[in-house]
Amino acid sequence: MLHLLKRILNYWNTPRRAAFVFIIPSAVLLILFVFLPLLGTLVFAFFDMDIFFNNISFLGLENFVRFFKDQRAINSMLHTFYYSIWEVPLQVIVGLLLAVALQKNSLFNKFCRSIFFIPVVCSTVSVSIIWKIILSNNIGFATYLISQMGITAPGFLTDAKYALPTVALTTVWKNFGMTLVILLAGIQSISPSLYESAEIDGANAKHKFFRITIPQLLPSIGFCLLTNFIGSMQVFDAVFLMTGGGPQFRTETAVQYIYVRGFSAPYQLGYASAVSWILFIIIAVITMAMNLFLNKKERQYN
Amino acid sequence: MSIRISKLINKIVMLFISIIVIFPFIWLFITSFKLEKDIVTWPPKLLADSYTLNSYLNVFRTIPLFSFIKNTVIFAGGVVISQLLLDSMAAYALARLNFKGRKLFSYLILLAMMIPFQVYMIPLFFLVHFMGLLDTYAGLIIPRMVMPYGIFLMRASFVSLPKDLEEAARIDGLSEIGIFFKIMLPLVKPGLVTLAVIILMNNWNDLLYPMMLTSNPQMRTLSAGLALFTGENIQLYGPVLAGTVISILPLLLVYALAQKYFVIGVATSGMKE
Repeated sequence: MLHLLKRILNYWNTPRRAAFVFIIPSAVLLILFVFLPLLGTLVFAFFDMDIFFNNISFLGLENFVRFFKDQRAINSMLHTFYYSIWEVPLQVIVGLLLAVALQKNSLFNKFCRSIFFIPVVCSTVSVSIIWKIILSNNIGFATYLISQMGITAPGFLTDAKYALPTVALTTVWKNFGMTLVILLAGIQSISPSLYESAEIDGANAKHKFFRITIPQLLPSIGFCLLTNFIGSMQVFDAVFLMTGGGPQFRTETAVQYIYVRGFSAPYQLGYASAVSWILFIIIAVITMAMNLFLNKKERQYN
Repeated sequence: MSIRISKLINKIVMLFISIIVIFPFIWLFITSFKLEKDIVTWPPKLLADSYTLNSYLNVFRTIPLFSFIKNTVIFAGGVVISQLLLDSMAAYALARLNFKGRKLFSYLILLAMMIPFQVYMIPLFFLVHFMGLLDTYAGLIIPRMVMPYGIFLMRASFVSLPKDLEEAARIDGLSEIGIFFKIMLPLVKPGLVTLAVIILMNNWNDLLYPMMLTSNPQMRTLSAGLALFTGENIQLYGPVLAGTVISILPLLLVYALAQKYFVIGVATSGMKE
């Protein structure tokens, strides 16, 4: 018995074979919990089915057709875009400006960077609860401060016109510390000799920023744009907590719509899966287009 | 002279932004100790005349906050431990062992990294449902035991180690498993800490995933529990704020102790490409 065990162990004790021992747990888990569900979404999207697996019937492309007639679904996509258009550029611009301002490793700068990172560590849920109350019409501290300045504060989160930009701003507030750190790593890896030779040529700060920092930083900026865009198109937590999608679904986002369709009555999982696919395709297409554009820009500079 | 002034302005702007970042937390902390009537007054005041622990006592009475904390620790802790082990095992094989299918596996990892969770969450829910694991710790932890990005991150750590390390160990008669645990793993400790911090942050703060896989209030995590307790309309502000303070304190503490690793973790994510 012991002999057999020893032989088994010996058999697996070569680099080639041991590799499978290391890989198999991850491979099995990834196939089971990522790729199988992904396939599931693809299959479900062609069926009419509910959460109890009753009355399953094949629909073909009907779920996809239904999306284009479903005003609430289309609106949820548009809201998501609208949120994204506010969140992504602001996030990257704020992160970039602060990264440039704080690039030297002085004590003061390090202190600021640690402060700016604090909201990154906190959950979106907690941050959303805080802002929801601070921005509320009746008791909000921010609302009060603004009214003290003689401006009538709008219903930041209750007025559909302002709600999504407001949520986008709180997301920028929460995450700019992260963008800053990523861009800072990029800035600090730019060769100082580039700046030195520019100084010899008499370049001022503005020149250095636009002619050296931005072009050299383009891969990092591109990364931040892409990841922020992908993240913002999947926004759920912040909007769910701060507006709940209201008033009258006018701030409902795509993922929230998918969640509501799939996990509340009448549990239309097939349709929810189809909408997931549509969202995924939209994200993938735009991401690829942005990527192509960024690559082109990078080549222009080099 | 003008350089000095611009430096001063720079500092003032930075301090101002710092205040904008910090103020909501200070407000949260102070308000969580106020009486309910002092929270819901107009005009709102930052400070009150008297303070109380009522909100903290109340939140434990109105929601199962102890369960939330326990669940979050078990869920996030379980995910951290299992991912550290499984991610680094797979990463080690990818980085340092030659085997059939290595290319294919790398592609699968990259592909899995790009697929948003929201796209496959519904079938994932079913899978966990059919395994009978809804509302269990196993159901929360098992689907998260591997993270493609974690494998990716650890692979970079293993690749950067000197090449002849394991050859020497093999000659000394150490088994392949022994080489991994006794020699390689201790050498990538900084990578492991960085990864641990990322996993902890992601899972402690996650909302959609734990919300989807639990329906029993006793099984909720802090994020999901607080989110659902808060709901569309907040009835009592004090307990909500006290719960929020309790939910963010542990991570803030970890951040204070391991700040370096949080920053490294985020900064390296930017070098993915």
